[in-house]
Amino acid sequence: MIESTPTANDDLQGRRYWRSLHEYSNSPELLEKIAQEFPDYDPDELLGMSRRKFMKLAGASMALAGLTLTGCRRWPKEKVVAHNARPEGTLPGVPEMYASMVQRNGVAHGVFVTSFDGRPIHVAGNPLHPIVGDPKRYAEGDLKMGAADAFTIASILDMYDPDRSRSVYRYSGQDGVRDRKRSTWADFEEATADLNADAKIAVLSEANAGPAFVDVKKRFLKHFPNATWTTWEPLHRDNEIRGSALAFGQPMRAQYDVSKAMTLASFDSNFLGDHAAAAKHARGWAKNRKSCDEGVMSRVYAVGSALDQTSSNADVHMQVKPSAIPAMLEALASAIGVSGLEVTPDLDDAQSFFVEKLAKDLKANQGASLVVVGPGQPASVHALAWSINETLGNLGQTVSLTEEPAAEGGLYVDGIANLVDQMSAGEIDTLLILGGNPVFDAPADLGFAAALGEVGNSVHLGLYENETSASCDWHLPEAHYLETWGDGRAWDGTICLQQPLIEPLFGGKSAIEVLAMLSGDEATQGYDLVRRAWTPAIKAGQYDVSTSSWPGGPIDTSAERAWRAAVHDGLLAGTAFPVVSAKTRGARPTGISVTHQDLQLCFRQDPKTYDGRYANNGWLQEVPELITKMTWDNPAWISVDDALKYELENGDVVKIAVEFDNKSRGEIECAVFITPGQAPGVVVLTLGQGRSYGGRIARGVGFNTYPLRGSGNQSLAYSAELEKTGKTHPLASTSIHHLIDTSKLGPNALSGGKDRGGADAIAAWGMDKRVGKKPGDEGKLIKQASLERYKLDLKKPGQKSFANDDAHGDLSLQLYDAPLADEFAQRAVELKKRAEEMVAAGELDAELVEGWEPADQFNDKHAWGMSIDMTACMGCGACVVACQSENNIPIVGKDQVMMSREMHWGRIDTYYRGKPEATRNFKLDKKDEDVVDAVHMPVSCVHCENAPCEQVCPVAATVHDTEGLNTMVYNRCIGTRYCSNNCPYKVRRFNYFDYHSKLDSDSFRNTREPGGISNNPWLKMPDQQPGDVIDQIRRMVFNPDVTVRMRGVMEKCTYCTQRITRAKIEAKARWAEDLTAGKDVADYPYVQEGDIVTACAAACATEAITFGDLNDPKSKVAQLQNKNKRTYMLLDELNTRPRTKHMGLVRNPVKA
Amino acid sequence: MLLGAMGGGMYVPAVVGLGLNPNTLNKNYQPKQPIPYSHELHVGQLGMDCTYCHTSVNNAAFAAVPPVETCITCHNPADGSGVKKTSPKLEPLHRAVQPYLDAATGYPTHEPGTEDAPNPRNPDQGKPIEWIKVHDIADYAYFSHQAHVTKGVSCVSCHGRVDRMGEEGVYQVENLSMGWCIDCHRAPEKHLRPPEEVTNLAWTPLDDEEVIAAIKAGTIKEGDVDAAQLLVGLRVKEQYNVHNAAYMQACSTCHR
Repeated sequence: MIESTPTANDDLQGRRYWRSLHEYSNSPELLEKIAQEFPDYDPDELLGMSRRKFMKLAGASMALAGLTLTGCRRWPKEKVVAHNARPEGTLPGVPEMYASMVQRNGVAHGVFVTSFDGRPIHVAGNPLHPIVGDPKRYAEGDLKMGAADAFTIASILDMYDPDRSRSVYRYSGQDGVRDRKRSTWADFEEATADLNADAKIAVLSEANAGPAFVDVKKRFLKHFPNATWTTWEPLHRDNEIRGSALAFGQPMRAQYDVSKAMTLASFDSNFLGDHAAAAKHARGWAKNRKSCDEGVMSRVYAVGSALDQTSSNADVHMQVKPSAIPAMLEALASAIGVSGLEVTPDLDDAQSFFVEKLAKDLKANQGASLVVVGPGQPASVHALAWSINETLGNLGQTVSLTEEPAAEGGLYVDGIANLVDQMSAGEIDTLLILGGNPVFDAPADLGFAAALGEVGNSVHLGLYENETSASCDWHLPEAHYLETWGDGRAWDGTICLQQPLIEPLFGGKSAIEVLAMLSGDEATQGYDLVRRAWTPAIKAGQYDVSTSSWPGGPIDTSAERAWRAAVHDGLLAGTAFPVVSAKTRGARPTGISVTHQDLQLCFRQDPKTYDGRYANNGWLQEVPELITKMTWDNPAWISVDDALKYELENGDVVKIAVEFDNKSRGEIECAVFITPGQAPGVVVLTLGQGRSYGGRIARGVGFNTYPLRGSGNQSLAYSAELEKTGKTHPLASTSIHHLIDTSKLGPNALSGGKDRGGADAIAAWGMDKRVGKKPGDEGKLIKQASLERYKLDLKKPGQKSFANDDAHGDLSLQLYDAPLADEFAQRAVELKKRAEEMVAAGELDAELVEGWEPADQFNDKHAWGMSIDMTACMGCGACVVACQSENNIPIVGKDQVMMSREMHWGRIDTYYRGKPEATRNFKLDKKDEDVVDAVHMPVSCVHCENAPCEQVCPVAATVHDTEGLNTMVYNRCIGTRYCSNNCPYKVRRFNYFDYHSKLDSDSFRNTREPGGISNNPWLKMPDQQPGDVIDQIRRMVFNPDVTVRMRGVMEKCTYCTQRITRAKIEAKARWAEDLTAGKDVADYPYVQEGDIVTACAAACATEAITFGDLNDPKSKVAQLQNKNKRTYMLLDELNTRPRTKHMGLVRNPVKA
Repeated sequence: MLLGAMGGGMYVPAVVGLGLNPNTLNKNYQPKQPIPYSHELHVGQLGMDCTYCHTSVNNAAFAAVPPVETCITCHNPADGSGVKKTSPKLEPLHRAVQPYLDAATGYPTHEPGTEDAPNPRNPDQGKPIEWIKVHDIADYAYFSHQAHVTKGVSCVSCHGRVDRMGEEGVYQVENLSMGWCIDCHRAPEKHLRPPEEVTNLAWTPLDDEEVIAAIKAGTIKEGDVDAAQLLVGLRVKEQYNVHNAAYMQACSTCHR
């Protein structure tokens, strides 16, 4: 494949946008795949069955059907089990929302959890949370939900994971032949009862800054004065912490206000994606991107090793080796005149160009700019960035300083190194590991696992039994965050409350409860531990554990009120860290000088497992990664140049080795994936896959990269070796799945060169229209323009712009009119008239109504529509997971993904333009063609008013409702799949199997051995109905408002019709009740703007997705669709009239 | 032989057709309940309103079966005047409620589990009553009591005269098939009544004041229930903005 990859094929036909290297090179593999609507579906498999076998199977299923018919009169008997005493304020079957928090890496993220009859089913962001939400906008009614990233949303699946540890276990025996016995908490308590004050205990804990944790830790260390405490998180920020200490004399935490920054520079930092405050950064970033409609826009510069969420959305980005970044920052520092720095870094042309343009912009935006360095860069680079920000006057403006709780116990790597030394020296009798998985993720050169063998008694508390518990003497089941009380601090320091929604399913305890138990605390429950620790924060008197109350009793004291408010909000407002002002101690060169010759490694957070903790989470494993669209794997990313150099193709397994500072070596075998835009000489690895122990899903997925990560610089390796092994590994990337524009491959491409007459004529026509005739034509899928170009559009009246000036408009000529078209058109006129009357009466702002056109098809009170702003979309994929959680969407497994059978209703198409081997997106001169860039485009069902799918369904299982939804009736669908065949957007998904139950059968996972798909699920799958076989625990996560689809039916985005219906019924029933009660009711209730937020829109940090009522002139979506100049309809020349409209991408590039 | 084949050819479809007919499958379904609760006694004779127990019909999709504490307001086994407190028929009720009774007041409490009171999680005690669901529509169809009851669809339209169903239990009167649902969604005026009369199972349109006036005026014949219903139904439909037929027959109204 690679031979054809890097050079543009002659057949390219002017395509500027491509989705994968396959497509870029028009590989035969791709042509074959997209020639079929359902790739890798092999009908011969069925035909190959002998007649006798067919009859046998058919006969058996007939007999089964007969049994079923005679066996029962109707469907299974259902029971209604009412409460004995119904808790006050609850109504059976009505969902409730509770505020809570999820903690990762010592930072609390606020969540709103939906609970159905005591069963949490969906996690969304807490709008009151200072990072994921915005309390001010929430109070104004402008923001309904806070943002939530994919990890946060998917974390609920962990709770219902049947693989979670369900009991206390006692491990004994030597490595390899470990004996595992079921035990109990009582046994554990008994075994630890003789721990006394002299005990040499060491605690190795995950980070947690919550007041309760800090309080319990203090009490524990007081009870065991000889105990030591170490904190370990593999994705620590040691470099950042040391960097701020170098700059200011003490560790500080940076609080970025991206919304104030008009020039942003990222040096190897994915502050929009991987940062603990990424949601806030993204919101701020989006504000200055959407402002392009006013002709103002920020400019983002990014330099890193490979494309990521920040750089692929940056206006100016380039990829270099990590070792080149310090020099670029030094050059920048000189260029903007940071005093006390005398360096003359050696930069190449592109780097100089980048630094020069950046310096100019930064100087023009002093106090409104920001330079951010990523956690992978050494401390001295961070320190220099502080000097740059200080010189630019950004301190106190776009970046402020607060205390850094993570710095309290010293650097994490030093801590764990010390601990390992003590363990090896036999100085520790009892090691208590609270969460985490250090055997798997501790620095490889320390030899943590070996040292663990020297510890007399080791205890591991964890959500799962993992590599660490298998090496310990005790494993304790940890309670999930939705099962127990706890607390934490947000990135800005706000104290957050972790409120449980359900009793521990498997009798787990939280870390604070275990600590309290060991130190003989009078309080044993998380509830008491948190309330006691919060006493000073809510200004109460002495807390009495025996009655669980503050002075004054449990009813109505100021302390109780404050506590209840915190429970309601999920946080204690006004407890953010105070901002401190500080001055840097002067700029110094970074002192990084490494040769750029060697192959370098760059370690990143894994987009699926975080650091390994979510490895058993199927939702995360199957969500396609941003750049590579990889599922169920973490191949090493390599550049096109390196692929040529080492003669590698996608899926080739290589051996990567590094030498650590102590001269020991780390070595792994890992598949590679060729990634566009990556710097040559860098291999990007993500941490956390390749688990050997820890659940059915986690085991055997991907490659463990921790063995390459030494205790030196944890995020980079400046010198590594790479060697081809000759083995291959199948990879399931979705980058070429569901390609919208198959016809752009050229006439007759799909028929293998044979002339198919009319079909190809249409294909050719489509290609001309959508892709353009001339080389370099933009095509019509992606609409992209520079700010300068868009400013010209803004000056013109009307809605025309770069995004829609070639729009087809309405086709008046049709074979037949839509049913009742006249009536609907009449209604649209009436709606418009009514709005104008309201304006005349002063009830409505005239500006709102001007230019607003009510939708005139399928019209009822409401007309639902959606806008997707590609200028604001970062492609993070949170919407995909949110949709999966809300709509009971199954995961299908790696083999099925390889057959294009992933079930996600939404997808993020990432299109590239330019040359895959290029490493920057800016031109050095007018003729420079050596550029590459990426665009992210979310696509789900666009709810065409003129829907092609509906016209071909033989059983009318997909039809419109009166409010414009393209509905899907599962119980009517017979699975012909014609609709998917006819869908130009490729958004329909077919249930080839009962995927939900398949997950619980052994055939769900099969060989991921080299050689590809080895099993043939077609004939092996038993005919299973979901109700009988889905795990009793796992089915608890289902949303009861959404049908669980069975095998053989089609499905797709419904605009969250269950949420629409709920809001409508609620509004109308309240109105009808008031009317019946004789109250004064004004008008028939329209569902108000903001009453309905779809799951995808709720999750989106940048608010790129807007959903609402097109018939309401005040709604945001009506404003965007009718007024915003960037609005365009995807594939509008097909006259599908989509209700979801995209908004063109505007970037702010630099000129050569 | 030929006749036999022909007979079979007719017999099989007939058996299958009739066997799968919703009328056969669903109508008159009357499972045995753990307590022989008589709606006839409580509603028909004592005149209790439906919403006294099924409190959530106005606020939720699901018409909740009352918690045991509702029954206990009259049937408290610890209260001297508790109705039928020694009846063996109420045994499941007593078993459910026992640990929740407050020693001092004799009434149920929300916070069970003190040292004196038995542990409510003891499987033998505090076990909630498991009623058998009678009206059970398919899981792929969504039905909301709230949406119907607040707009004037009476309980009796779907559940029949529950106030006449005795100790043998509630049984299914209508077949609850999709065709049956659609009948009403096409012409709701045939079933609507003023929402304040929703739980009055004995109501007839002839009770309506407007109808009485119309009969007096001679526009409706005395005793013409259909005409009277149409008059009331159309009025309620207009008054409560009940949707047009196209909306009510849209798939997304019930399927999602």
